[in-house]
Amino acid sequence: MSNQRQASSASQTPHLSPAELSYLYTSLSLPKSPIRPDGRSPTQFRPLTAESNILPGTNGSARIGFADGTQAIVGVKAEVEKTVLSTDTLASGEGGESTAATSGHGSWVQMSIEIPGFRDDDALPVFLSEMMRESLVGAVVEGGDGGGDVMMAGGLKGRLVINKRWHWRLYIDVLLLSQPLSYPLPLLSLTTHLALLSTKLPKLKSQGEEDPFFDDDWEVAEYLYPRGSKLKATSGLASQYVRPPVTLLVVSVGENVIFDPSREEIAVADAVLAISVTRDTEAGNLKLLSIRTIDPPSRLTQPAVPNSENVNMLGATAPTEDIAVLNPATGEEEVPGVWRPRRGGVKRSVIANMIKTVLKKGGVGEEVLEGLEGVEVE
Amino acid sequence: MPLDTSTTYPLTRLRLDGRRWNELRLLQAQISTNPASSGSSYLSMGNTAIMCSVHGPAEGRRGEASGAAGSAGAIVEVDVNVAGFASVDRRRKAGGSDKQSSRIATTLRAAFQSHLHTYLYPHSTISIHVSVLSADGSLLAAAINACTLALVDAGIPMPGLLTGCTSGMSGSASTPRDPRNDELDPLLDLSLPEEQELPFLTVGTTTCVPVGENHMDDEEEETKVAVLNMDSKLHCTYIETMLAVGMDGCNQIRELLEGVIKGSNRG
Repeated sequence: MSNQRQASSASQTPHLSPAELSYLYTSLSLPKSPIRPDGRSPTQFRPLTAESNILPGTNGSARIGFADGTQAIVGVKAEVEKTVLSTDTLASGEGGESTAATSGHGSWVQMSIEIPGFRDDDALPVFLSEMMRESLVGAVVEGGDGGGDVMMAGGLKGRLVINKRWHWRLYIDVLLLSQPLSYPLPLLSLTTHLALLSTKLPKLKSQGEEDPFFDDDWEVAEYLYPRGSKLKATSGLASQYVRPPVTLLVVSVGENVIFDPSREEIAVADAVLAISVTRDTEAGNLKLLSIRTIDPPSRLTQPAVPNSENVNMLGATAPTEDIAVLNPATGEEEVPGVWRPRRGGVKRSVIANMIKTVLKKGGVGEEVLEGLEGVEVE
Repeated sequence: MPLDTSTTYPLTRLRLDGRRWNELRLLQAQISTNPASSGSSYLSMGNTAIMCSVHGPAEGRRGEASGAAGSAGAIVEVDVNVAGFASVDRRRKAGGSDKQSSRIATTLRAAFQSHLHTYLYPHSTISIHVSVLSADGSLLAAAINACTLALVDAGIPMPGLLTGCTSGMSGSASTPRDPRNDELDPLLDLSLPEEQELPFLTVGTTTCVPVGENHMDDEEEETKVAVLNMDSKLHCTYIETMLAVGMDGCNQIRELLEGVIKGSNRG
């Protein structure tokens, strides 16, 4: 347990031998057509079941279960809080008070993740929650109310402002119901997205700078992320509305880009990237919010020994079998079929390819967002 | 009318949520909800909702198995997690766990350690993970029921279903009971507002499935109390009534859970 808790990198590595790692790497790095252990195509996600609004006691909630049995439940709760301007917000920037009170503050969104076997303050939950929170509060719509909504002018932070003295505080609690079998980031991010989509805040009855006073009819409560009428949504104008960001986990193996990696696939990845995207309200296409690299666990694996260097195999093999060749993806000399731990580093063209696959029209990002919007939030 | 059990109950004989004294809340349950575990269940009693998953019996971790208890039979581990969004106001936890969830965990561990046939699995661990999604009273009782369902789903042998229920009195009951002027009613299956105001106890009972050559002769199933927990103050003359009502509730719940277990086989 103790060394499991230390694992801040991409979750626990499965116990695979160097030969198995090499086999996986070779089949995943086949040029143009990687063969994944579960037979998926590189951009295919694992099947999942999703439902939202499952907990009546929360402002918004969702549950997603992957086919491998990992499940997550997210509950969102909102509280009204008095805006207290700290000294550093007053000091920072131009016209301190007005900016902080009208544009919102990142700390108004709190996120906590519970993973069985981990404490709240362990590295993995803290890192994951911060990674998801920063893209949530960072998603600010430029140009304000162009094609979208006046309400969402300042992104999520701006939506939480009630007036100059009061604001909402949003608590997002993520509950992972089983031990993480693979790096839980995509599961948690998708569930959070769905929960935020279903989140409602009570309708404000007071006006202007009065103390806030709300309509106690939950039927008229407004969605945190405003949504269009059914008619608009079907005619394809749904993209006008601001959506919470999703964070996708992408790995590169050789020249190939692989989405929604399983644990075995992460174990041999050259690079692991968490890419956050959201919809751009103006153009209707996707916008890149952030990219984070995640320490790939393949760095910690044991290397294999080529026959030419193995004392036990001395003289048993022909020397021609062990010619080191240059791996085009990493630029390192390698003997084919002999596992070497990845040293990190990935080519710019591969990163560019990853981002292109996510962002392009009809690409993976759009597919995921559309799939999530398809989940009935009634 | 104020929402106050002690003042309105004598007039209406109806509780805050409209139930009579001997009525359970709506109980819904499902088993095999999580394919990643050996056994799992979801149970809701009124607005209390609990998910439970069981892993094992599996080989215990090194270091723990060397203990004397490890060789005799399986060790039951219980981990209770009350979600931050479970109650009305969001609760901030400091670091690891809080007092309420660790008390529930201790009670559950003690109850199931002695209830299950652990001697069949020496040197192994059965770990139970309970997540409270929504808390509205009778947490311990609901957790006992959810654990029982998950353990049945995991196929761990036990002599009978262990079910839990709460019962309370409809007033403070601090003076000795007067048999001629008995104005307090016992209440079954308390919700959170009732729990906060009234004295209550949690009782868990089990029945032994009759086995052996003359098992057809036994008409009556023998009910045994396995768990009894009480945090509030009450005059001792009321205990017997409360226990009787609680045990009756346990029997009702046992029938419901049996229906869930038998029904899940058909699907």
